[in-house]
Amino acid sequence: MRRIRMVKALDPEIAGQLAEDLPPAVFRRIIATFELDLGRLTAELEACAAAANSDGYHRAAHSLAGAAAAVGARRLEFEARIAMDPRQPEAADTLLPRLTAESRLALAELHSLAQA
Amino acid sequence: MSEPRGRILLVEDTPTQAEVAKALLSDMGHEVRHAETGARGLALALDWMPDAILVDLQLPDFSGFELMRRLKAEGVEAACIVITANASVNTAVEAMREGAMDFIVKPYGRARLKVTLDNALEKRALRAELTAVKQQLNRGRFFGFVGGSPTMQAVYRTIEAVAPSRANVFVTGESGTGKELAAEAIHKASPRAKGPFVALNCAAIPRDLLESEIFGHVKGAFTGATDNRPGAAKQAEGGTLFLDEIGEMPLEMQVKLLRFLQTGSFQPVGASRPEKADVRIVSATNREPLAEVEAGRFREDLYYRLYVVPIELPPLRERGEDVLLIARHFLAQFGKEEGRRFRGFSREAEAAIRGYPWPGNVRQLQNAMRNVVVLHDAEMVEATMLPPMLLRAGRRPPAMPQPVPMEESAGFSAPESLPATRYAEPILPAIEPLATMEKRLILAALDHTQQDVPRAAALLEVNPSTIYRKLAAWRAA
Repeated sequence: MRRIRMVKALDPEIAGQLAEDLPPAVFRRIIATFELDLGRLTAELEACAAAANSDGYHRAAHSLAGAAAAVGARRLEFEARIAMDPRQPEAADTLLPRLTAESRLALAELHSLAQA
Repeated sequence: MSEPRGRILLVEDTPTQAEVAKALLSDMGHEVRHAETGARGLALALDWMPDAILVDLQLPDFSGFELMRRLKAEGVEAACIVITANASVNTAVEAMREGAMDFIVKPYGRARLKVTLDNALEKRALRAELTAVKQQLNRGRFFGFVGGSPTMQAVYRTIEAVAPSRANVFVTGESGTGKELAAEAIHKASPRAKGPFVALNCAAIPRDLLESEIFGHVKGAFTGATDNRPGAAKQAEGGTLFLDEIGEMPLEMQVKLLRFLQTGSFQPVGASRPEKADVRIVSATNREPLAEVEAGRFREDLYYRLYVVPIELPPLRERGEDVLLIARHFLAQFGKEEGRRFRGFSREAEAAIRGYPWPGNVRQLQNAMRNVVVLHDAEMVEATMLPPMLLRAGRRPPAMPQPVPMEESAGFSAPESLPATRYAEPILPAIEPLATMEKRLILAALDHTQQDVPRAAALLEVNPSTIYRKLAAWRAA
């Protein structure tokens, strides 16, 4: 059994369990897919924010929240859910940098988990 | 490699979520296919026929609920499980209302997914099994038959199995058990269903006309043959020819039928050239066919040609609760025809119907129900409305023979032709051989009806052909 370290950006209940249940190659494929999703969806968020396309912004945020939840990236999911809130409690220019930082952190911790 | 546990279709548009679900499902041993849109999911479901479908509610083209509605409309019977990030009661209720078997909240782990999916698959398998078993075992109706007893289920299964083939079928059973109905069911369930079904009662046709009835005749073949006339064999071309009471067929006619069965060709009476006909033969008798062969009354070679697949119809007394199902069926049918109010039977009436041995089988029951409906009108059939013979049967030990009421002039009366008061004091006749008593009873019925065979047959609750056959046998003796 692989040792699951306590990590900050990830929920060990989800990410740890995936790492434990699935073969390493499969887990790495999931991380690769997540990385592609992150790149695509954060770019979409930025483009939609710049174009004031609120529908597109909400859709991308919704997809990002789902992707983050699937791998246990709870903090990223939290930030994405703020972005998909129709009341828009926080402006994109303050939220997106934080969301991007959380993405990097979650991804790094997932890679770290895959190597453990 | 072991067989996959289930065929699971995943309809999910976010790649990471799809990848996680696919990985977990594959790891559980399922065969998985993935669609990113509702339209693609619908197409895959119709094409691949999965056991379960995991449906994300938010899809790029239409919602997961809409997908479930479309799946249902297309008749897809897979177990649908909704995947949602929204764990509200409203979502759960709506998911169930739209036909979901369960729902699972994101993010979900392997254990949760496994339990949900296993439950749904098990439930679906049970539902499918239940439907199949119900279809197989609880068929209360089969073509014209009414009845769900195990003996009739076996008959239905045999008919279904033999119908698609070309094999000749031999139906046996007592008078009134539905031999012609069985023949029609074989025809209707067969690839010949669009062709004609021609029934011929060999006992009801004078022996010198039988050949012409089966094979036809040409103009001038005999006195009265004013035109060419096709026989039953030609009329049944591409369909089924039902030869009822085949045991009554004269031996010389049996030879001609055998030749037809062997070659597919026959010669109409008076014709100089043979003709061909593609027919399937279903024959029936209420006699024991092998005993007829042993007695020399039926050709052995013809017996083996016809007796390819035997179907034995059980007498009504061996069909358990079918007697009530059939009685209710006739009550409803005749009640509607006659404009009566009948809705059912009282407990006493049901007991009387159950307790009577119905020697004339379904035909006798049909006549009894017609009698009730014609003579009475009420919401419930009471025991007192039933023909008296049913009530007498209930008062006597089943092994005892029924007393036959005497009529002064003719010796025996036909039971239903007399008012009930005449049965108050039944007199036991002198015990004589059964054949003698049967002959006296039939002749009495004919006397009573001024030699009207169909009416006499109705009174005796037998087929008119039974009387014709008996008369022919007595004449020949």
